[in-house]
Amino acid sequence: MSGLPPEPLLSEAAEWDIFDVNIRLGPSGPHGELALDTPCLLQEMDRFYIRQGIASHWTAEEYDALAGNDALARDLHPRLTPAWAALPDGRSLENLKTRQPSVVRITPGVYQHNFSSASWCAGALFEYLQESSAVVLISRNDMEWPAIDSLAHNFPHLAIVLLDIGYRADRHVFPLLERHPMLHFDSATYLAHRQLEAYVEKHGPDRVLFGSRLPLYTPASSIAVLATARISDSSRCAIAGSNLRRLLAKSQAVRCA
Amino acid sequence: MRSPVPVADAHGHIGTHPDFPVYFAEPEQMIEVMDLLNIEKLAVTSLLACYNDCPRGNEGIAAVLSRYPERFWAYVTVNPSPPGQGLAELEKWAHFHSPPLIKFHPALHKYPVTGRHYRPLWDYANQTAAVVLVHTWDSDPNCGPLLFPPIAREFPNARILLGHAGVTWRGYMQSIEAAQSAPNLYLELAGSQHHRLILEQAVEALGPERIIFGSDMPFLEAAMTLGHVLTAQVQDSAKERILRTNFLQLIDEI
Repeated sequence: MSGLPPEPLLSEAAEWDIFDVNIRLGPSGPHGELALDTPCLLQEMDRFYIRQGIASHWTAEEYDALAGNDALARDLHPRLTPAWAALPDGRSLENLKTRQPSVVRITPGVYQHNFSSASWCAGALFEYLQESSAVVLISRNDMEWPAIDSLAHNFPHLAIVLLDIGYRADRHVFPLLERHPMLHFDSATYLAHRQLEAYVEKHGPDRVLFGSRLPLYTPASSIAVLATARISDSSRCAIAGSNLRRLLAKSQAVRCA
Repeated sequence: MRSPVPVADAHGHIGTHPDFPVYFAEPEQMIEVMDLLNIEKLAVTSLLACYNDCPRGNEGIAAVLSRYPERFWAYVTVNPSPPGQGLAELEKWAHFHSPPLIKFHPALHKYPVTGRHYRPLWDYANQTAAVVLVHTWDSDPNCGPLLFPPIAREFPNARILLGHAGVTWRGYMQSIEAAQSAPNLYLELAGSQHHRLILEQAVEALGPERIIFGSDMPFLEAAMTLGHVLTAQVQDSAKERILRTNFLQLIDEI
Protein backbone atom coordinates (compact mmCIF):
# COMPACT_ATOMS: atom_id res chain seq x y z
CA MET A 1 0.00 0.00 0.00
CA SER A 2 3.03 2.33 0.29
CA GLY A 3 4.40 4.60 -2.37
CA LEU A 4 1.11 5.08 -4.18
CA PRO A 5 0.54 8.27 -6.18
CA PRO A 6 -1.61 11.08 -4.75
CA GLU A 7 -5.33 10.41 -4.92
CA PRO A 8 -6.71 12.30 -7.93
CA LEU A 9 -10.26 12.41 -6.60
CA LEU A 10 -9.08 14.36 -3.57
CA SER A 11 -6.61 16.59 -5.41
CA GLU A 12 -8.24 19.78 -4.15
CA ALA A 13 -6.70 18.92 -0.77
CA ALA A 14 -3.29 19.73 -2.25
CA GLU A 15 -4.19 23.41 -1.88
CA TRP A 16 -5.14 23.25 1.79
CA ASP A 17 -1.67 22.77 3.32
CA ILE A 18 -2.95 20.04 5.62
CA PHE A 19 -1.44 19.72 9.09
CA ASP A 20 -2.85 16.59 10.73
CA VAL A 21 -3.20 16.75 14.52
CA ASN A 22 -4.00 13.08 15.08
CA ILE A 23 -1.29 10.66 13.95
CA ARG A 24 0.42 7.79 15.72
CA LEU A 25 3.75 6.27 14.84
CA GLY A 26 5.58 3.02 15.42
CA PRO A 27 4.58 -0.53 16.30
CA SER A 28 1.35 -1.39 18.05
CA GLY A 29 0.32 -4.39 20.09
CA PRO A 30 -3.42 -4.36 19.33
CA HIS A 31 -3.18 -2.71 15.90
CA GLY A 32 -0.21 -4.49 14.38
CA GLU A 33 -1.81 -4.89 10.95
CA LEU A 34 -2.17 -1.16 10.58
CA ALA A 35 0.90 0.28 12.31
CA LEU A 36 3.37 2.18 10.12
CA ASP A 37 7.02 3.08 10.48
CA THR A 38 8.11 6.58 9.54
CA PRO A 39 8.87 6.04 5.82
CA CYS A 40 5.57 4.25 5.21
CA LEU A 41 3.66 6.85 7.22
CA LEU A 42 5.16 9.66 5.12
CA GLN A 43 4.17 7.83 1.93
CA GLU A 44 0.60 7.52 3.17
CA MET A 45 0.60 11.22 4.07
CA ASP A 46 1.83 12.05 0.57
CA ARG A 47 -0.94 9.98 -0.96
CA PHE A 48 -3.53 12.11 0.85
CA TYR A 49 -1.84 15.53 0.56
CA ILE A 50 -1.01 15.71 4.27
CA ARG A 51 2.04 17.96 4.42
CA GLN A 52 2.71 17.85 8.16
CA GLY A 53 1.47 15.98 11.15
CA ILE A 54 1.64 15.81 14.90
CA ALA A 55 2.70 12.30 15.83
CA SER A 56 2.68 10.45 19.10
CA HIS A 57 4.32 7.07 19.53
CA TRP A 58 2.37 3.93 20.22
CA THR A 59 5.18 2.60 22.37
CA ALA A 60 4.55 5.49 24.77
CA GLU A 61 0.81 4.95 24.79
CA GLU A 62 0.78 1.16 25.04
CA TYR A 63 3.96 0.44 27.01
CA ASP A 64 6.10 3.07 28.73
CA ALA A 65 6.05 6.85 28.43
CA LEU A 66 9.79 7.41 28.69
CA ALA A 67 10.69 4.52 26.39
CA GLY A 68 8.05 5.78 23.98
CA ASN A 69 9.52 9.26 24.01
CA ASP A 70 12.95 7.84 23.21
CA ALA A 71 11.38 5.89 20.33
CA LEU A 72 9.62 9.02 19.11
CA ALA A 73 12.87 10.99 19.15
CA ARG A 74 14.50 8.20 17.16
CA ASP A 75 11.69 7.88 14.58
CA LEU A 76 10.97 11.57 13.97
CA HIS A 77 11.08 13.34 10.62
CA PRO A 78 11.01 17.08 9.90
CA ARG A 79 7.43 16.79 8.67
CA LEU A 80 6.34 15.34 12.00
CA THR A 81 5.97 17.44 15.14
CA PRO A 82 6.42 15.23 18.19
CA ALA A 83 3.59 14.81 20.67
CA TRP A 84 5.53 13.71 23.73
CA ALA A 85 4.03 11.48 26.36
CA ALA A 86 3.71 13.15 29.75
CA LEU A 87 3.32 11.75 33.26
CA PRO A 88 2.58 13.72 36.43
CA ASP A 89 5.45 12.59 38.69
CA GLY A 90 8.48 14.81 39.27
CA ARG A 91 11.07 12.65 37.57
CA SER A 92 8.96 12.25 34.42
CA LEU A 93 8.25 15.96 34.38
CA GLU A 94 11.96 16.81 34.57
CA ASN A 95 12.56 14.39 31.70
CA LEU A 96 9.75 16.00 29.69
CA LYS A 97 11.27 19.46 30.19
CA THR A 98 14.46 18.33 28.46
CA ARG A 99 12.35 17.74 25.33
CA GLN A 100 11.15 21.38 25.32
CA PRO A 101 7.75 20.16 24.23
CA SER A 102 5.50 22.19 21.98
CA VAL A 103 2.95 19.36 22.01
CA VAL A 104 2.19 16.57 24.48
CA ARG A 105 -0.34 13.79 24.27
CA ILE A 106 -1.57 12.64 27.63
CA THR A 107 -3.21 9.24 28.06
CA PRO A 108 -4.45 9.18 31.67
CA GLY A 109 -6.93 6.32 31.19
CA VAL A 110 -6.94 3.47 33.68
CA TYR A 111 -5.57 0.99 31.13
CA GLN A 112 -2.93 3.42 29.88
CA HIS A 113 -0.90 5.75 32.11
CA ASN A 114 -3.52 5.63 34.84
CA PHE A 115 -3.41 9.00 36.59
CA SER A 116 -5.86 11.71 37.49
CA SER A 117 -5.85 15.00 35.65
CA ALA A 118 -6.93 16.75 38.85
CA SER A 119 -4.57 19.30 40.34
CA TRP A 120 -3.83 17.17 43.43
CA CYS A 121 -2.27 14.62 41.07
CA ALA A 122 -1.13 16.39 37.88
CA GLY A 123 -1.17 20.06 38.87
CA ALA A 124 2.58 20.58 38.43
CA LEU A 125 2.50 18.99 35.00
CA PHE A 126 -0.33 21.15 33.70
CA GLU A 127 1.15 24.27 35.34
CA TYR A 128 4.34 23.69 33.38
CA LEU A 129 2.49 22.98 30.14
CA GLN A 130 0.39 26.09 30.53
CA GLU A 131 3.43 28.29 31.26
CA SER A 132 5.27 26.95 28.25
CA SER A 133 2.19 27.29 25.97
CA ALA A 134 2.43 23.64 24.99
CA VAL A 135 -0.53 22.18 23.14
CA VAL A 136 -2.11 19.27 25.03
CA LEU A 137 -3.76 16.46 23.09
CA ILE A 138 -6.26 14.30 24.95
CA SER A 139 -8.38 11.57 23.44
CA ARG A 140 -11.96 11.80 24.64
CA ASN A 141 -11.74 8.06 25.24
CA ASP A 142 -9.20 8.78 28.01
CA MET A 143 -11.08 11.44 29.98
CA GLU A 144 -14.68 12.03 31.00
CA TRP A 145 -16.44 15.31 30.29
CA PRO A 146 -16.42 16.60 33.91
CA ALA A 147 -12.66 16.02 34.13
CA ILE A 148 -12.14 17.89 30.86
CA ASP A 149 -14.22 20.77 32.20
CA SER A 150 -12.22 20.86 35.43
CA LEU A 151 -8.89 20.78 33.63
CA ALA A 152 -9.86 23.60 31.30
CA HIS A 153 -11.25 25.58 34.25
CA ASN A 154 -8.15 25.15 36.41
CA PHE A 155 -5.76 25.98 33.56
CA PRO A 156 -7.62 28.54 31.45
CA HIS A 157 -4.62 29.41 29.25
CA LEU A 158 -3.77 25.81 28.44
CA ALA A 159 -4.39 24.95 24.77
CA ILE A 160 -6.28 21.66 24.82
CA VAL A 161 -7.18 19.65 21.73
CA LEU A 162 -9.74 16.92 22.30
CA LEU A 163 -9.16 14.04 19.91
CA ASP A 164 -11.69 11.43 18.85
CA ILE A 165 -14.73 13.19 20.31
CA GLY A 166 -17.02 11.12 18.10
CA TYR A 167 -20.11 12.37 16.35
CA ARG A 168 -22.63 12.06 19.19
CA ALA A 169 -21.14 14.59 21.61
CA ASP A 170 -22.40 18.00 20.46
CA ARG A 171 -24.51 18.44 23.60
CA HIS A 172 -21.32 18.11 25.67
CA VAL A 173 -18.90 19.84 23.32
CA PHE A 174 -20.80 23.03 22.56
CA PRO A 175 -21.21 24.17 26.19
CA LEU A 176 -17.59 23.27 26.94
CA LEU A 177 -16.33 25.27 23.97
CA GLU A 178 -18.40 28.19 25.17
CA ARG A 179 -16.97 27.96 28.69
CA HIS A 180 -13.35 27.44 27.66
CA PRO A 181 -11.87 29.54 24.85
CA MET A 182 -8.65 27.46 24.67
CA LEU A 183 -10.51 24.20 24.05
CA HIS A 184 -10.37 22.73 20.53
CA PHE A 185 -11.27 19.42 18.93
CA ASP A 186 -10.17 17.34 15.97
CA SER A 187 -12.26 16.33 12.98
CA ALA A 188 -11.28 12.66 12.66
CA THR A 189 -14.45 11.29 14.21
CA TYR A 190 -16.70 14.34 13.85
CA LEU A 191 -18.57 12.62 11.07
CA ALA A 192 -22.32 12.83 11.44
CA HIS A 193 -24.34 13.96 8.46
CA ARG A 194 -23.42 17.56 7.61
CA GLN A 195 -22.23 18.01 11.19
CA LEU A 196 -19.04 19.85 10.29
CA GLU A 197 -20.74 22.45 8.13
CA ALA A 198 -23.51 22.91 10.69
CA TYR A 199 -20.85 23.51 13.35
CA VAL A 200 -18.93 26.01 11.23
CA GLU A 201 -22.10 27.82 10.27
CA LYS A 202 -22.98 28.34 13.93
CA HIS A 203 -19.60 28.63 15.66
CA GLY A 204 -17.05 29.46 12.97
CA PRO A 205 -14.04 27.32 11.97
CA ASP A 206 -11.42 28.37 14.55
CA ARG A 207 -11.74 25.57 17.10
CA VAL A 208 -11.71 22.58 14.74
CA LEU A 209 -8.41 20.98 13.70
CA PHE A 210 -8.06 18.43 10.94
CA GLY A 211 -7.32 14.92 12.20
CA SER A 212 -7.12 11.60 10.37
CA ARG A 213 -6.29 8.96 13.01
CA LEU A 214 -3.59 7.65 10.74
CA PRO A 215 -2.56 4.86 10.57
CA LEU A 216 -5.75 3.32 12.00
CA TYR A 217 -8.20 5.05 9.67
CA THR A 218 -7.89 6.02 6.06
CA PRO A 219 -7.45 9.79 5.76
CA ALA A 220 -9.76 9.59 2.74
CA SER A 221 -12.80 9.73 4.99
CA SER A 222 -11.99 12.88 6.96
CA ILE A 223 -10.60 14.61 3.85
CA ALA A 224 -13.75 13.75 1.89
CA VAL A 225 -15.90 15.19 4.67
CA LEU A 226 -13.88 18.42 4.69
CA ALA A 227 -13.84 18.58 0.88
CA THR A 228 -17.60 18.29 0.56
CA ALA A 229 -18.62 20.48 3.51
CA ARG A 230 -20.49 23.52 2.27
CA ILE A 231 -18.21 26.05 3.98
CA SER A 232 -15.98 28.82 2.66
CA ASP A 233 -12.52 28.02 1.31
CA SER A 234 -10.98 30.09 4.08
CA SER A 235 -12.83 28.02 6.70
CA ARG A 236 -11.67 24.83 4.99
CA CYS A 237 -8.03 25.93 5.06
CA ALA A 238 -8.35 27.04 8.69
CA ILE A 239 -9.53 23.59 9.68
CA ALA A 240 -7.05 21.82 7.42
CA GLY A 241 -4.01 23.44 8.93
CA SER A 242 -3.90 27.11 9.82
CA ASN A 243 -5.72 26.75 13.14
CA LEU A 244 -3.10 24.27 14.33
CA ARG A 245 -0.23 26.36 12.99
CA ARG A 246 -1.58 29.33 14.94
CA LEU A 247 -1.55 27.32 18.18
CA LEU A 248 1.95 26.03 17.53
CA ALA A 249 3.28 29.48 16.64
CA LYS A 250 2.25 30.72 20.06
CA SER A 251 4.02 27.83 21.70
CA GLN A 252 7.10 28.46 19.60
CA ALA A 253 7.12 32.16 20.54
CA VAL A 254 7.01 31.34 24.25
CA ARG A 255 9.83 28.83 23.97
CA CYS A 256 11.99 31.28 22.02
CA ALA A 257 11.37 33.96 24.62
CA MET B 1 -15.13 15.27 -4.43
CA ARG B 2 -17.99 13.70 -6.30
CA SER B 3 -18.53 10.09 -7.24
CA PRO B 4 -17.87 9.44 -10.93
CA VAL B 5 -20.36 6.57 -10.64
CA PRO B 6 -24.03 7.34 -9.88
CA VAL B 7 -24.41 5.69 -6.52
CA ALA B 8 -27.16 3.28 -5.43
CA ASP B 9 -27.09 3.70 -1.67
CA ALA B 10 -28.40 0.77 0.38
CA HIS B 11 -28.54 2.34 3.83
CA GLY B 12 -30.27 5.56 4.79
CA HIS B 13 -32.90 6.84 7.16
CA ILE B 14 -35.67 9.32 7.56
CA GLY B 15 -36.02 10.92 10.97
CA THR B 16 -34.01 11.97 14.00
CA HIS B 17 -32.35 10.25 16.97
CA PRO B 18 -32.36 10.79 20.71
CA ASP B 19 -28.70 11.17 21.57
CA PHE B 20 -27.39 13.89 19.28
CA PRO B 21 -28.81 16.64 17.09
CA VAL B 22 -29.56 16.14 13.42
CA TYR B 23 -28.61 18.67 10.78
CA PHE B 24 -30.06 19.14 7.29
CA ALA B 25 -32.11 15.94 7.68
CA GLU B 26 -35.33 16.79 5.85
CA PRO B 27 -35.76 14.68 2.71
CA GLU B 28 -35.28 17.75 0.51
CA GLN B 29 -32.02 18.59 2.30
CA MET B 30 -30.83 15.01 1.96
CA ILE B 31 -31.53 15.16 -1.76
CA GLU B 32 -29.32 18.27 -1.98
CA VAL B 33 -26.46 16.30 -0.44
CA MET B 34 -27.18 13.31 -2.67
CA ASP B 35 -26.92 15.59 -5.71
CA LEU B 36 -23.65 17.03 -4.40
CA LEU B 37 -22.10 13.56 -4.05
CA ASN B 38 -23.85 11.90 -7.03
CA ILE B 39 -25.98 9.53 -4.98
CA GLU B 40 -28.73 8.72 -7.42
CA LYS B 41 -31.08 6.91 -5.08
CA LEU B 42 -31.12 6.00 -1.40
CA ALA B 43 -32.88 3.13 0.38
CA VAL B 44 -34.32 4.47 3.62
CA THR B 45 -35.71 3.09 6.84
CA SER B 46 -37.60 4.98 9.51
CA LEU B 47 -35.61 6.04 12.56
CA LEU B 48 -38.84 6.33 14.49
CA ALA B 49 -39.38 2.65 13.71
CA CYS B 50 -35.83 1.72 14.61
CA TYR B 51 -36.06 3.44 17.98
CA ASN B 52 -39.67 3.35 19.05
CA ASP B 53 -42.74 2.83 16.86
CA CYS B 54 -42.74 0.70 13.70
CA PRO B 55 -46.32 1.32 12.50
CA ARG B 56 -46.02 5.11 12.69
CA GLY B 57 -42.49 5.01 11.37
CA ASN B 58 -43.38 2.96 8.30
CA GLU B 59 -46.30 5.30 7.68
CA GLY B 60 -43.88 8.20 7.59
CA ILE B 61 -41.68 6.35 5.13
CA ALA B 62 -44.70 5.74 2.89
CA ALA B 63 -45.28 9.49 2.76
CA VAL B 64 -41.69 10.19 1.75
CA LEU B 65 -41.79 7.44 -0.86
CA SER B 66 -44.92 8.89 -2.41
CA ARG B 67 -43.27 12.33 -2.66
CA TYR B 68 -39.89 11.24 -4.01
CA PRO B 69 -40.21 7.82 -5.68
CA GLU B 70 -37.31 8.59 -8.00
CA ARG B 71 -34.86 9.34 -5.16
CA PHE B 72 -35.75 6.89 -2.40
CA TRP B 73 -36.41 3.21 -2.01
CA ALA B 74 -38.10 2.14 1.21
CA TYR B 75 -37.42 -0.61 3.70
CA VAL B 76 -40.24 -1.84 5.91
CA THR B 77 -38.79 -1.73 9.41
CA VAL B 78 -40.06 -4.45 11.71
CA ASN B 79 -39.70 -5.24 15.38
CA PRO B 80 -40.11 -8.82 16.69
CA SER B 81 -41.99 -7.32 19.62
CA PRO B 82 -44.92 -7.46 19.99
CA PRO B 83 -45.14 -10.80 18.17
CA GLY B 84 -47.33 -10.61 15.10
CA GLN B 85 -46.89 -6.90 14.49
CA GLY B 86 -43.92 -7.42 12.18
CA LEU B 87 -45.73 -9.70 9.74
CA ALA B 88 -48.71 -7.34 9.67
CA GLU B 89 -46.40 -4.44 8.82
CA LEU B 90 -44.69 -6.43 6.07
CA GLU B 91 -48.04 -7.25 4.51
CA LYS B 92 -49.40 -3.73 4.92
CA TRP B 93 -46.44 -2.11 3.19
CA ALA B 94 -45.73 -4.84 0.66
CA HIS B 95 -46.10 -2.27 -2.12
CA PHE B 96 -42.94 -0.44 -1.00
CA HIS B 97 -40.80 -2.64 -3.22
CA SER B 98 -40.64 -5.99 -4.91
CA PRO B 99 -38.67 -7.92 -3.80
CA PRO B 100 -39.38 -6.66 -0.29
CA LEU B 101 -36.79 -4.52 1.44
CA ILE B 102 -36.86 -5.26 5.17
CA LYS B 103 -34.95 -3.66 8.04
CA PHE B 104 -34.17 -5.36 11.36
CA HIS B 105 -32.47 -3.51 14.20
CA PRO B 106 -31.82 -6.15 16.88
CA ALA B 107 -29.60 -3.78 18.90
CA LEU B 108 -32.20 -1.06 19.37
CA HIS B 109 -35.08 -3.53 19.60
CA LYS B 110 -32.99 -5.44 22.16
CA TYR B 111 -33.81 -8.86 20.85
CA PRO B 112 -31.39 -11.41 19.39
CA VAL B 113 -31.60 -11.94 15.67
CA THR B 114 -31.58 -15.67 16.38
CA GLY B 115 -34.57 -15.41 18.75
CA ARG B 116 -37.83 -17.19 18.10
CA HIS B 117 -39.87 -14.04 17.52
CA TYR B 118 -37.71 -13.26 14.49
CA ARG B 119 -38.42 -16.66 12.91
CA PRO B 120 -41.72 -15.77 11.19
CA LEU B 121 -40.03 -12.67 9.80
CA TRP B 122 -37.09 -14.66 8.46
CA ASP B 123 -39.57 -17.13 7.01
CA TYR B 124 -41.40 -14.29 5.22
CA ALA B 125 -38.07 -12.99 3.90
CA ASN B 126 -37.19 -16.46 2.67
CA GLN B 127 -40.53 -16.96 0.91
CA THR B 128 -40.38 -13.57 -0.80
CA ALA B 129 -36.63 -13.53 -1.56
CA ALA B 130 -36.46 -10.29 0.37
CA VAL B 131 -33.41 -8.12 0.89
CA VAL B 132 -32.97 -7.79 4.65
CA LEU B 133 -30.73 -5.06 6.03
CA VAL B 134 -29.76 -5.94 9.60
CA HIS B 135 -27.82 -3.69 11.92
CA THR B 136 -24.69 -5.53 13.08
CA TRP B 137 -21.94 -4.76 15.56
CA ASP B 138 -18.72 -6.51 16.50
CA SER B 139 -19.54 -9.47 18.81
CA ASP B 140 -22.91 -7.99 19.86
CA PRO B 141 -25.02 -10.73 21.52
CA ASN B 142 -28.08 -9.52 19.60
CA CYS B 143 -26.52 -8.88 16.21
CA GLY B 144 -22.86 -9.91 16.03
CA PRO B 145 -21.92 -10.98 12.49
CA LEU B 146 -21.09 -14.53 13.53
CA LEU B 147 -24.73 -15.12 14.50
CA PHE B 148 -25.75 -14.96 10.85
CA PRO B 149 -24.37 -18.03 9.01
CA PRO B 150 -26.91 -20.47 10.54
CA ILE B 151 -29.75 -18.06 9.72
CA ALA B 152 -28.49 -17.59 6.18
CA ARG B 153 -28.28 -21.34 5.65
CA GLU B 154 -31.75 -21.96 7.08
CA PHE B 155 -33.34 -19.20 4.99
CA PRO B 156 -31.31 -19.37 1.77
CA ASN B 157 -33.62 -17.23 -0.37
CA ALA B 158 -33.32 -14.23 1.92
CA ARG B 159 -30.50 -11.90 0.88
CA ILE B 160 -29.04 -10.56 4.11
CA LEU B 161 -27.05 -7.33 4.26
CA LEU B 162 -24.79 -7.23 7.32
CA GLY B 163 -25.38 -3.55 8.06
CA HIS B 164 -22.16 -1.68 8.93
CA ALA B 165 -20.31 -4.98 8.37
CA GLY B 166 -19.76 -5.20 12.12
CA VAL B 167 -18.30 -1.64 12.28
CA THR B 168 -14.93 -2.28 13.95
CA TRP B 169 -11.85 -3.98 12.50
CA ARG B 170 -12.78 -7.15 14.39
CA GLY B 171 -16.41 -6.74 13.35
CA TYR B 172 -15.33 -6.65 9.72
CA MET B 173 -13.25 -9.76 10.20
CA GLN B 174 -16.30 -11.48 11.70
CA SER B 175 -18.46 -10.29 8.80
CA ILE B 176 -15.98 -11.58 6.24
CA GLU B 177 -15.83 -14.92 8.03
CA ALA B 178 -19.62 -15.10 8.12
CA ALA B 179 -19.99 -14.21 4.45
CA GLN B 180 -17.42 -16.80 3.45
CA SER B 181 -19.66 -19.46 4.95
CA ALA B 182 -22.98 -18.44 3.33
CA PRO B 183 -23.49 -17.06 -0.18
CA ASN B 184 -26.55 -15.01 0.76
CA LEU B 185 -24.65 -12.82 3.24
CA TYR B 186 -23.41 -9.41 2.06
CA LEU B 187 -21.27 -6.72 3.66
CA GLU B 188 -22.81 -3.24 3.79
CA LEU B 189 -20.25 -0.50 4.35
CA ALA B 190 -21.92 2.35 6.25
CA GLY B 191 -20.07 3.04 9.47
CA SER B 192 -18.15 5.46 11.60
CA GLN B 193 -14.83 3.59 11.65
CA HIS B 194 -13.09 3.54 8.30
CA HIS B 195 -10.03 1.46 8.93
CA ARG B 196 -7.24 1.63 6.43
CA LEU B 197 -6.91 -1.54 4.29
CA ILE B 198 -10.18 -3.10 5.50
CA LEU B 199 -12.03 -2.71 2.23
CA GLU B 200 -9.11 -4.13 0.27
CA GLN B 201 -9.08 -7.15 2.59
CA ALA B 202 -12.83 -7.65 2.19
CA VAL B 203 -12.60 -7.54 -1.59
CA GLU B 204 -9.67 -9.93 -1.57
CA ALA B 205 -11.54 -12.38 0.67
CA LEU B 206 -14.99 -12.21 -0.93
CA GLY B 207 -14.60 -10.60 -4.31
CA PRO B 208 -16.46 -7.33 -4.95
CA GLU B 209 -19.83 -8.94 -5.70
CA ARG B 210 -21.04 -9.14 -2.12
CA ILE B 211 -19.93 -5.73 -0.89
CA ILE B 212 -22.48 -2.94 -1.01
CA PHE B 213 -22.23 0.78 -0.43
CA GLY B 214 -24.32 2.38 2.28
CA SER B 215 -24.02 5.88 3.72
CA ASP B 216 -26.28 5.82 6.80
CA MET B 217 -27.46 9.30 5.82
CA PRO B 218 -28.61 11.41 7.71
CA PHE B 219 -27.08 9.62 10.67
CA LEU B 220 -23.54 9.60 9.29
CA GLU B 221 -21.81 11.73 6.68
CA ALA B 222 -22.11 10.03 3.29
CA ALA B 223 -18.89 11.58 2.00
CA MET B 224 -16.96 9.62 4.60
CA THR B 225 -17.79 6.16 3.24
CA LEU B 226 -17.78 7.43 -0.33
CA GLY B 227 -14.25 8.79 0.07
CA HIS B 228 -13.13 5.47 1.51
CA VAL B 229 -14.53 3.44 -1.38
CA LEU B 230 -13.34 5.82 -4.09
CA THR B 231 -9.74 5.77 -2.83
CA ALA B 232 -9.56 2.06 -1.98
CA GLN B 233 -6.85 0.13 -3.77
CA VAL B 234 -9.23 -2.07 -5.73
CA GLN B 235 -10.06 -2.05 -9.41
CA ASP B 236 -12.41 0.59 -10.80
CA SER B 237 -14.76 -2.17 -11.90
CA ALA B 238 -14.96 -3.36 -8.29
CA LYS B 239 -15.74 0.18 -7.11
CA GLU B 240 -18.56 0.45 -9.63
CA ARG B 241 -19.98 -2.83 -8.42
CA ILE B 242 -19.78 -1.72 -4.77
CA LEU B 243 -21.18 1.75 -5.37
CA ARG B 244 -23.97 0.80 -7.73
CA THR B 245 -24.33 -2.48 -9.57
CA ASN B 246 -24.43 -4.93 -6.69
CA PHE B 247 -27.37 -3.33 -4.94
CA LEU B 248 -29.31 -2.70 -8.14
CA GLN B 249 -28.92 -6.36 -9.08
CA LEU B 250 -29.94 -7.46 -5.63
CA ILE B 251 -33.20 -5.51 -5.76
CA ASP B 252 -33.92 -6.49 -9.37
CA GLU B 253 -33.54 -2.98 -10.78
CA ILE B 254 -31.10 -3.99 -13.53
